[in-house]
Amino acid sequence: MTMMESESTQPTPPIGVHTSRGSGQTTDYQVIESIRRGETPGPTVHPEVFDTDSVIDIDGFNLWYSETQAIYNISMKVPRGAVTALIGPSGCGKSTLLRSINRMNDLVDGVRVDGAIGLNNSPIYAPSVDVISLRKRLGMVFQKPNPFPMSIFENVVYPLRIDGERRKSVLQEACERSLKAAAIWDEVKDRLKRSALGLSGGQQQRLCIARAIVADPEVLLLDEPCSALDPVATLKIEELISEISERYTVLIVTHNMQQAARVSDYTAFMYLGRLVEYGPTAKLFQTPMLIETEHYVSGRFG
Amino acid sequence: MNAQEATNTKRLTLPSAIGEPMVWLTGGALVVCLAMIVVLITMVVVNGAMTFWPRAIERVTLNDGEVFLGIATEDQAQTDTTASRTLYRVGNRDIGQESFRWVDDADVQTIETPPDAVMLERLAWGVWFGVPESIERVSDDGERTVIAQGSDAFFAAFEEIHRDARAERARGDRLKKFELGKINHEIEHQRLNLKQMEIEVTRGGDGLLWLGWAVWIGLGVGVLVLIGLVYQLRDFGTELGSTHARKGQLIRRSAWTLAGFLLVAMWIAGPWKSLIAGEQELEALRAEVSLRVEDLQKNYDEVLSNVRAIEDEDALDRIVVIEQTSGRFAPISQTLSDEPMLASQVVRMVRANTLTTRGKLGVFFSRWWEYLSTFPREANTEGGVLPVIVGTVLLTLMLTIFVTPMGVIAALYLREYAKQGFITSLIRIAVNNLAGVPSIVYGVFGLGFFCYTVGRYVDVGPTGLSRMEAASWWWVYGLVGVGALIGFGCRLWSKPDPGKEPTLRHVLIGRLSWLVWSVVFVLAILLVIRTPYFHGFFEARQAEGSPTFGARGMLWASLTLALLTLPVVIVATEEAIAAVPNSMRQGSYGCGASKWQTMRRIVLPGALPGILTGAILAMARGAGEVAPLMLVGAVKLNQDLPISTQYPYLHADRSFMHLGFHIYDLGFQSPDSQAARPLVWTTTLLFLAIVFSLNLAAIMIRSRLRARMMGPTV
Repeated sequence: MTMMESESTQPTPPIGVHTSRGSGQTTDYQVIESIRRGETPGPTVHPEVFDTDSVIDIDGFNLWYSETQAIYNISMKVPRGAVTALIGPSGCGKSTLLRSINRMNDLVDGVRVDGAIGLNNSPIYAPSVDVISLRKRLGMVFQKPNPFPMSIFENVVYPLRIDGERRKSVLQEACERSLKAAAIWDEVKDRLKRSALGLSGGQQQRLCIARAIVADPEVLLLDEPCSALDPVATLKIEELISEISERYTVLIVTHNMQQAARVSDYTAFMYLGRLVEYGPTAKLFQTPMLIETEHYVSGRFG
Repeated sequence: MNAQEATNTKRLTLPSAIGEPMVWLTGGALVVCLAMIVVLITMVVVNGAMTFWPRAIERVTLNDGEVFLGIATEDQAQTDTTASRTLYRVGNRDIGQESFRWVDDADVQTIETPPDAVMLERLAWGVWFGVPESIERVSDDGERTVIAQGSDAFFAAFEEIHRDARAERARGDRLKKFELGKINHEIEHQRLNLKQMEIEVTRGGDGLLWLGWAVWIGLGVGVLVLIGLVYQLRDFGTELGSTHARKGQLIRRSAWTLAGFLLVAMWIAGPWKSLIAGEQELEALRAEVSLRVEDLQKNYDEVLSNVRAIEDEDALDRIVVIEQTSGRFAPISQTLSDEPMLASQVVRMVRANTLTTRGKLGVFFSRWWEYLSTFPREANTEGGVLPVIVGTVLLTLMLTIFVTPMGVIAALYLREYAKQGFITSLIRIAVNNLAGVPSIVYGVFGLGFFCYTVGRYVDVGPTGLSRMEAASWWWVYGLVGVGALIGFGCRLWSKPDPGKEPTLRHVLIGRLSWLVWSVVFVLAILLVIRTPYFHGFFEARQAEGSPTFGARGMLWASLTLALLTLPVVIVATEEAIAAVPNSMRQGSYGCGASKWQTMRRIVLPGALPGILTGAILAMARGAGEVAPLMLVGAVKLNQDLPISTQYPYLHADRSFMHLGFHIYDLGFQSPDSQAARPLVWTTTLLFLAIVFSLNLAAIMIRSRLRARMMGPTV
């Protein structure tokens, strides 16, 4: 497996690294230093990840924005039916990685990729893939709530509308189901015909989640869904993520370590476009293999 | 402490930092602008509205004993060279006097306002000032008997007689206009049908009609096979890597294109086209038409005799109104000066000197109503402006209907589809420059291109040298088909695999695809404009020497104005589209929407208020244009409205009247410019009112849409 590979110059740091815990000296960050020098050391992956059934397979994935490389040889598996969080400092490529999965990066001029991503064993970057139908298999929620300037009802059923669904009963049924799943039904059931722009930020974001799950996607991609929300709304969204993770595989990008710890089952720590450490959230936060990860999740670096 | 104080004293407020004078300066500039607008509006409203207010009729006696009736319209104070003087409107043009005269105040002996002086507004020859004497009735033997003598009896009897006479005359006019008009139209229609058939018989079949039924049905089967092929191969190559995927796409598109080309060919060269009428059918039609026309002619004569009867009846009531200078009465016409005029020739009698305020208001509103609801008379200086209003409103609506979709489509492509770069910037600059082209240039273009080129094509199709040989036409047709296939191929192979950089080969093939498509486009246009298979829609009328669309008219005028206002819509739409947040588009793509779905469901609705703003601006700009209209369709007088109850209801080929041109015409082209001057103000007022209300209506529609789209917030 590629994940076990490490460059010979940068072997996985031994347990002994932990002895310097507390000193917090940057000189101890061997992996990070190597990355900063422009090298691509192999990731440290906890063995638990290999036991899971994966829904997304990322294999040796590289991405360039014109001449600038944003993602370096990332390989990881996203386990089915769980919440996986991508964490890392700003500019580490976690959003880019997320947007590569539903090929939203195609919309950016000059993007070039290398390597492969598979969704349920079908390749995403094969030439014959129809991007439109690929995106229909994935639900996506963005940083800022972006409800469309139309009624709440029309917002939720938008993915069905573009598939040509016209039957009123089907639309209403789907709307109610996904609004309930997004825990916003009680707040909006009396004003489905009103504009979605009249909702509060938190409500708008839950509406966007309802919109993302109305067509039953295979994976739900969340791109820092709480970064534009206040703490109360954030809490509600987090509860919602835990709830819907029972039915959907969720891949979430967050810059908030506490959030990752609260909602996710697995966490991947990225740095400057490289995957650094990947494993079950509990282990990654309590007994990480790398001193860098430990310092990052505890806020001592990054 | 000292350091603190030192810095405090250093930070003085400079005199130049005091902004008070700037407040006054900027505010003052605004006030000046507002004042100018207010003055303009007030002037137009006051002058325009006062035109129809009845003013006192004065009886002026000069020192040399001359007496005349008139209305003082203008005073001129004493200057170095002239004494103070007054301009009187004295009318009575048909007995050979100027209808306005300047009178030196020093020459005036007395001025009275006699209660029985009247001003007659007549159908022809302008107003008549006089004192009524009698009403006469012509008996069967041609003798005139007086039925009311003296002004009191005149006034008592006049109203009823006048009302009846006017009603009868209106009935006669309606008969003439509608009944006779309809019959004339029908006769014309029959004649043109015959003419069309004659032309077709003379021409014979179109040169290349070689498709027999067998071949034709064979082609039809071919089309079905091709469509079946597309269906069979709908998944071909989708799982087999990029080259196969492209081949599959190319095969499908080629099949579609080929099917389309075959269908068009089948339509053009259908075997039924050889079934051209022969001499026998022509003879039959001739007989039929002449029978029908005879019938119609009989009808025509019948209606005409009705009209004549009404007119004869009308000629019985005469009124005698004496003017005061030489004691002559108002004649029936200039040549028959010994016959007093008909009661029905009077549009309105104003006894201005005895009118109460209520009576004056009555005259005022009745004049306004006449102005708004009737056709012009007397070279536009009298009567109403109904055709002018209809022409202006219709032109503005048509131009808006043309320009909005054109501009929106162009802007959508420019902003959403086109790759932003040098060429798009160039196009934007060009579009903006179009807005600065003098409008008369558009007029010249409209006349030369729309009226004389496109219009002629619509009338008679390509003629003479521009008509291609049938054989070469089919060669070009095939070339276009092949070119389209090559173009599709180049386009497919010019795109790199997803996520890959385009190589030089891709770029070159992409350029080639542009080239191929350009050639195909040019050839396709050539095919249309030089086809030997189109003979125009109005061949018969053109053969009689009267073009239909090949002349100045409503359609071409509105298209010219649409072109003129296109930059406004494009710029506004582009801005509106750019203002739709990118997060909306991303959200839509994230839901699995295609680019077109995103544009139709998210971008366009979001940009709609901005698009409508552009349409409103275009409308305002277009409504006020006059210069290009003079070239492409506005005329001084056209009694035929561009809309009617007769098929095809909207007569876009007709020339029309326009308020802007009407103002110019009244002010500078009128034979009686003094009489027309007040009407210039009134027409200006009307023009402003119409443009304002059109804009207001559009703004109301926009705000309603916006409210529906954006909900309670925003």
